[in-house]
Order: sequence, then C-alpha cells, then structure tokens
Amino acid sequence: MESSEQGSVSVREFHANGTHMSASEVEAKLDQGNVQDAEDALREGLSLNFEEARALLGKLEYQRGNVEGALRVFDGIDLQAAIQRLQPAFSEKQPVKKGRNRTESHSVSQHAASLVLEAIYLKVKSLQKLGKFTEAANECKRILDAVEKIFYLGIPDIQVDNKLQEIVSHAVELLPELWEEAGCYDEAISAYRRALLSQWNLDNDCCARIEKSFVVFLLYSGVEASPPSLAVQIDGSYVPKNNLEEAILLLMILLKKFCLGKMKWDPSVMEHLTFALSICNQTCALAKQFEELMPGVYPRIDCWNSLALCLSGAGQNDNALNLLRKSLHKHERPNDFTSLLLAARICSEDPQLAHEGVNHAQRAISNAHGSKEHLKGVALRMLGLCLGKQATVASSDYERSHLQSEALKSLEEAIKLEPNNFDLIFELAVQYAEQRNLRAALRSARHFFNETGGSVLKAWILLVLILSAQQRYSEAEVVTDAALDQTARWEQGPLLRLKAKLKISQSQPMDAIETYRYLLALVQAQKKSFGSLQISSKVEDNKVNEFDIWHGLTNLYAHLSRWKDAEICLQKARELKKYSAALMHTEGVLFEGLGQNREALCATINAVLLEPNYVPCKILMSALIQKMGSDSEYLTVARSSLSDALRIEPTNRRAWYCMGLLHKLDGRINDAADCFQAASMLEESDSIESFSFIS
Amino acid sequence: MSVDGATATATSTDSPEKLKAAIASLSSMVPSLGSTTPSSLLTSPEIYPQISSLLRKPNSGAGDSNLCRWLYDTFQSGVPELQLLVLRFLPVIAGVYLCRVADRKPQAGFEAVLLALYAHETASRAAQPVTVTIPDLANPSIYHDASSSKAPQTKDADAAVTAVVSPALEPHGTVRSTRRARIVGVALELFFARIRHMPVASKVEFCRFCKTWAGQDGDMYRKLEEEEEEEGGEKVVAQEKKVEGRVPLPWELLQPVLRILGHCLLGPHNRDVELFEAASDACRSLFARSMHDVNPKAILPIRSLMRLSKDVLHRNPLDPTELPFSDVISL
Repeated sequence: MESSEQGSVSVREFHANGTHMSASEVEAKLDQGNVQDAEDALREGLSLNFEEARALLGKLEYQRGNVEGALRVFDGIDLQAAIQRLQPAFSEKQPVKKGRNRTESHSVSQHAASLVLEAIYLKVKSLQKLGKFTEAANECKRILDAVEKIFYLGIPDIQVDNKLQEIVSHAVELLPELWEEAGCYDEAISAYRRALLSQWNLDNDCCARIEKSFVVFLLYSGVEASPPSLAVQIDGSYVPKNNLEEAILLLMILLKKFCLGKMKWDPSVMEHLTFALSICNQTCALAKQFEELMPGVYPRIDCWNSLALCLSGAGQNDNALNLLRKSLHKHERPNDFTSLLLAARICSEDPQLAHEGVNHAQRAISNAHGSKEHLKGVALRMLGLCLGKQATVASSDYERSHLQSEALKSLEEAIKLEPNNFDLIFELAVQYAEQRNLRAALRSARHFFNETGGSVLKAWILLVLILSAQQRYSEAEVVTDAALDQTARWEQGPLLRLKAKLKISQSQPMDAIETYRYLLALVQAQKKSFGSLQISSKVEDNKVNEFDIWHGLTNLYAHLSRWKDAEICLQKARELKKYSAALMHTEGVLFEGLGQNREALCATINAVLLEPNYVPCKILMSALIQKMGSDSEYLTVARSSLSDALRIEPTNRRAWYCMGLLHKLDGRINDAADCFQAASMLEESDSIESFSFIS
Repeated sequence: MSVDGATATATSTDSPEKLKAAIASLSSMVPSLGSTTPSSLLTSPEIYPQISSLLRKPNSGAGDSNLCRWLYDTFQSGVPELQLLVLRFLPVIAGVYLCRVADRKPQAGFEAVLLALYAHETASRAAQPVTVTIPDLANPSIYHDASSSKAPQTKDADAAVTAVVSPALEPHGTVRSTRRARIVGVALELFFARIRHMPVASKVEFCRFCKTWAGQDGDMYRKLEEEEEEEGGEKVVAQEKKVEGRVPLPWELLQPVLRILGHCLLGPHNRDVELFEAASDACRSLFARSMHDVNPKAILPIRSLMRLSKDVLHRNPLDPTELPFSDVISL
C-alpha cells in the first residue's frame, strides 16, 4: 500500500495501479444514485476491472458511513463466483516449495483474494450495522470457508500478505459475535471453537480477545455448550466436558500467556476466574492461581488479602490468618476492614487465638465510620465471639466471668445495630446457654429457629441441648424426633447421637443401645453408597464420627457394668483413633469397674499426658488416688487434681460432687455441703452434651 | 444437564391438546386471558405480570391454591414449552416462598411446584453429581500444548482436582425444612439451565427478590473500588430500616443465585437497562450481606461480579473488528 504523502487530508482519494484520483467526483455521482456512472468513472480514471472498481466503491460508501449504499454496491459483485475463481489458483500452488516465481504469483493471487474477501467483509460489517445479524453471520462464515479451502493446510506464517491476514483475523473474531447477536448460540459456540482450534495464524491480542469473549459466553450466557467434537480431540489431551471446565481452562491459558509475556495484563481475566472457581467451590485452586501470578500484578497487600479470602474459603484458616497478619501489619494496611473482620472471625474459632481476635475486632470497631459504619454491628459481633472463646481458656474464675460478661455485652450491643441478623441471635443464644442463662438462651434459640424456619440443623441441636439442660428430657426428645423427621438420612448423625444421650439421661439404656446400633448401620451405609465425590460439604459436616459412636457405646456399657461388651466397643474405638484422652478415660473407668485401680490410674495419667486439660480424667484420677489410701498425702493430691479440674471447667457437676466427697472424708462437713449444693444446682442446668458441641 | 430430562417428554401429537387444556384451566383463574391462543400463551407479555401478581397475594401458596395446582399440573404435563412457561414464575414462587417461611404459613402449593421442579432435575441427573475437573496446564489440552512448560509431566489424571458443583440429588417427597434451601437451589439451577428462554421480566423479578433475601442495603458499595481510599468522603448514613424477608443463604442456595446474577449482569442481554440495574442492585445487596456474614466464599465471587459489571458500563467503544478508516482508498 502506498503511504499518503499529504498527511491528514480531508478529501478522500483513490489509489490504484500507481495513479490516484480524487473521490469527490465519484462521491457526487453516488450521491445522485448513479452507481454505474461512479463505477465507470473509477474504471476509466484508474484503469480497473469491474470487480476492482466495485470493491473500491463499496469501500468508499462504507467509510462514508453509508452502509446501505455499500451493500447496494457489493450486491453488484458475484462474490461467490469470485471466491470460486480463487480456489484453484491457490490449492495447486500450495504444496510446492517456495521459489521466487511462485511467491510472485502467489502474491498476485493473494492480492485478488484479499480484494474479494475484503469486499465480503465490508458487506458483513454493513449488514451488522444494519442489525441483520444472521445474514451477516452467514456471509462472514463464507469468508472463513473460502479461506479454509484456499489454505487447506492452514495459513502459513510468512507467505500471507498483511491485508489478507488482517481480514481473516477480523472475520474469525467477528463471526461468533455475529451469531451471538443473532441469538444463534449453538452456531456461536462452534464459531468460537473453530476460531480457537483451527490454524488462522492469529496474533496474540486477537486470540486473547476471542478467548475472553468465549469465556464470557460460556460463563454467563446460560447456554450449555455440548462438548467439542471428537474430531478436535487429540489423544491424551484434556477435553473440557462442560461450560465451566472450558471457561476455566481458557482463563488459565490466558493467565499463562500473560505470564509468558504474550499478552498484556487484563484484570478481568482474574475476575472471571475468581467467579468461575468460586462457583465450583475451588477457592483453593484459585489461591494457587493468585500465588502463581507474577509479583507486581496486584499490589502485594491486595494479593495477600485475596489469597486470605481464598484460603479461608477453602478452610485453610491458619494460612489465611498468617497472610492477614502480614497485611494488617502497621506498615502495610492495618485498618483494612475486610481483613480485620476476617481475621477476627478466624480467631473467634480457636480459643488460643481469641485474644488476637479481640484486638482485630476492636480495631475494626474503631474504624467503623463513614462507608463502613454499617459494619459496626459485625465488628461488635466478632468481638463478642472472640471474648466468649477467650473465656473458655481463662486462667482464673474472675477473668472468665469478666470475659463472659464482656462478650455478652458486645453481642447485645451488636444486636441493637442488627436486629435482623439471625446468625447473631443464634450466637447470643449459645452465649447465654454457656453462661447457664437458660431462659434467655431458649428465647433466643426459639427466635432463631422461627426466623430460619427450622432450616438450620444446629438450631434444632441447640434447642435440644437447652431443653436437656433444663431437664426437660421428654420435650427434648420430641424436638429431636421432629428434627430427625426434617432431616435427610445422611445428615441425621448428630441428632441420633443426641437421641442416644437423651435416652441415657432418661434411664432407658436399652433404647440408647438401639439408637447407637442404628447409627452404626447408618455409618456403614454411608460408607458404601458414597464415593468420595458425591458427598456434599453439608453431609461431610454432619457425618457421624464412627469413633464417637463406639466411644459412646463403651461408656454406655461401662455404665451398665457390662464389661465384656464395653471391652469390645473400646477395642473398636481404639482401632479408629489410637491416641485419644477421652478413650483413655473410658479405659480407666473400665479398669476401675473391674477393680483394677492401678491400671485405671495408669490410663488416666496417660490421658492427662496426652491432653493436660482433659477434665473427666482429672476427676477420675482424683477418685482413684483417693481410693488408694486415706492418708492426708493422698487426699492432698486428689484435691489438687480436682481443683485443677474445677479451674478448667467450673461448671462441671461431677467435679463438685467429688470435691464434696473429699471434704466429707476429710471431715470438713460445711465445705462438703457447699460442694454438694453446687453440684446439685449444676445438675439442674446440665445439658447432655457441652454447648460447644454446636460449633 | 441434558435438555428435557427424563420426566416424560410429551410426544408432539398430544402437546397441542395439553396446551389447550392448560389455557382452558388458566383462563378460569385469569379472567382477562379470554382470547389467548396456545402460541400467545407462551409469548404474550401481558400474562406474566398478571400471574406474577396473583402469586404474591397473601394466601397464594396454600395447598388449595388453584394457581399452584395449575402450575404443578402444567409442569407435569411434560410439554417442554409448558415447562418453560412454569419456570418463568420460579423467581416469584421461590421469592415469596422463602420470605414467608418465617411466618409459618402453610405453603403446600408452592412446595408442590418446587418439588416438581426438583424431581425433574433429580430424574434427569440420574443420581450423578455435577462435577468439574480443574485443568492442569502441565498436561496438554485441546486449546494448548504443554510443550512450552517444563518437561512433559506424567499423566496423573487421578491427581486432577474434581470439584463438585452440585452434589448428587436424592429424591424428596416433601420439603423437609433442612432441605428447603437445597430444593429451592436445585429449582434455581434448572432455571439457570433454561435461562436463555426466560423473559427479562422474570429475571428482573429474580434480582429484586435477591435483594430482599439479602436483607441488606448495598448502596454504600456503589463505588466499589474507591472504597479503599475514600475516607470520610460521602458519609453513608446507616439507616437500619427494618428489613423483611432476610433469609438464610447457605451455599447451596447462594451458588445458583450467583450464576443467575452473573447471567443478568454479563450475559448476552445485559444491555437491557432495567435488568442490568436490578442485577447490579442485587449484587451490591448480596455483597453487603456477605460482608455482614464475613463469608469469604461469597465475598470473592460477588466482588468479582461487581468489578466485572463496572467494566460493562465503561465498555470500550473501540470495535477491534473494524477495518482502519483512511482517506486513501486503495485496493
């Protein structure tokens, strides 16, 4: 193409065959509707043949924005015939080795080809602009069909002139869009695949644009694409089998291209990938993608925060918290609200981290202004949760009650800001329950239950626990049965366990054994019928722990003094979990029942070594030591073990009871009476399972 | 998800009959239907708002509701067109249904329709979960060859991550309360699978219900990105109005909701201003909700949707498929 010397000219000019002429005369003729005259003028002025003149005219009309006119001009050319004329010229020469002459003749025919194809392409664009998408798509498809026939071995890199390549690339990119606009989605899908799977010699940018458009189509069109045809499947290569897979594959390829420097950064790629992988529950895989991004793509703090969200979403809270700690460092972005809330939330689940969580939550509260003000309630809620968790590991009674009341205060403050947040109501209920304010707990639990229409399993469980703490066993059982009725089989595990415990509390051990048997059958059925794939996360969460069942049964048989049965169950449980303080405690109980106090003591010592704060063992240990002798040394050791237990769990009824016995033995009747009273009061508010069972 | 699942695809011969019958019984409930012909029943824009408003009436979802019975029967007819017709009303049904759960009103009518949709999906999926295999670029795919990466890795297809998009379905004869979200969610998955056939009005209504379900005002997120810097800028006064209709949004419900919203925002028809606005609004509300729940699994995809929909507004007007214009017109 000749470069125009005039720089920017406002007058259009025709250039061809080494001469040029002004377009104004031709334009005037066109304006009068004389296409024929205009054509003649061009042919004369530039010594062109009919097709060339028409092509130039069409181009002129198109550039003038007169798309109808352009269409009229193009309709005059028999493009189909022109295409057919092109084909032999190419296909014969294609397989021949490159030679000077050949390339020469090549470029001539390529010139003719690009002339025809450009004319068709402009026709397509004109039709598109007129909203005739189907027609445009069909024309556009003809271009690609023709090109495929001409270059049936794929378009070679070097031999193609720029203009032809440009038109081919444009047509490849435009076709799927046209089908999409025409509402022909199946055609659009095959056009996209044709664009990406055939050899069009597209440049990187063009290819990336097509890939991106296809991704958008796959993810959001709501049209399920059938898998790619067998023809394109190469042995051993990965073939996506549905929209999400295909979109994710393309997005990953796009990211890789960026990493290899073949494409400039496009943030939307990462956003689409985030959406797609999140939808698949694969924030873990998303985290990997974030990690593999080159440094500098995102500001590092943004990257850490996104990673933290991914990891936390995938359940890797430890790693998430580590990243959040980095990003919340005073030199980074210490007041980032989302990070503060997420960090506090993660900390609220672990007693050892609760203290740290309190700091995060407090910082969030002090930053809750402006556009963040609506999140103040959330920050207060997190504070309450962290404080409540912290209370469970408080080192003194005073500290514990202080933390508990602070926790309650925060939650109550939060609920004033968010009266509709039923999760908050639930958390309040748990907090009340843990502090043995059972009436308030029941009220909140009911409120939550009604608001969520019984759709949340843990609401049923909390109700059962609170009722059992109020010693309203039969009501608790009614609720349990109703809950079982409202729950699918695979999620009934935790409820059945509660039911067994309720039966024990009501002195119906045989019913409890029956329930445990049913539970075992359920576990077996679950194992059989599920491949690891099919289990939804919900079922996974509610899966009964087989170990728990055997352990529960062991305790039950021990309670009934059926030592042989207990022994068998204990063995089963031990096979599932070798080192468990709870199990060792049960073992101790068994030995004690059989009168083997020394072995029993060994078991409890082992348990305490394994888990220094395991309260039931401390109690049992004290009882065992006490049995070994009534010298004051023994009694002192026994007492210290019990006080330890009470420090850890001041609401443990059994510990108070044993302490009472000890005092009585030691002759301190008043103290003994106090302890017994405490024990009996606690019995009135003892639930069949600790409230922490819920979370 | 195969189109027209296993539940009785009606033969072409009896479907006109069924269409007629469906109209006849519908016209007894919607008086203005009068002159409707079978084909206009499927396309007529007037019918949608009429039925939609009937579905919002106070006792609309009761077990003795004629309209619910009609929807149920019509869906069960197995005629694909009629099933699509019923599906259009899913947003209203699901929306009203979930919002009324806390009122403890009997809603057996709505539940019957939802269960019919659920059963349809259950049958067509044949106890198989919907899964996605996360590709590993180290292995070649149809779109790339792995040669550019290091040594060709051993094919460990077993190590490929398989993600469950929607777990296998078990049949349900009633709506058990703990399965409610799942049943509605699966119905919405069906809606998404047929969304290309759904009218804009139905999608708009869906978006509005999303906002209600979120129970959270999202206006403060109108300017998403500036959020970091803008400190003390415009103060959004926290107006804690009493919001009705906030519902639990477990993942099994939220996931299909997000897919539908993604379609409304970024799908082929996102140039419809009303739909786009409604969907953006729903997105902001759900984002606010996800922040209130401190739920990273929800924050991530919704944030991405919000960012992507912002790009739609500032869409690059440059058409890459346009040929360059020049004043010199040459061959």
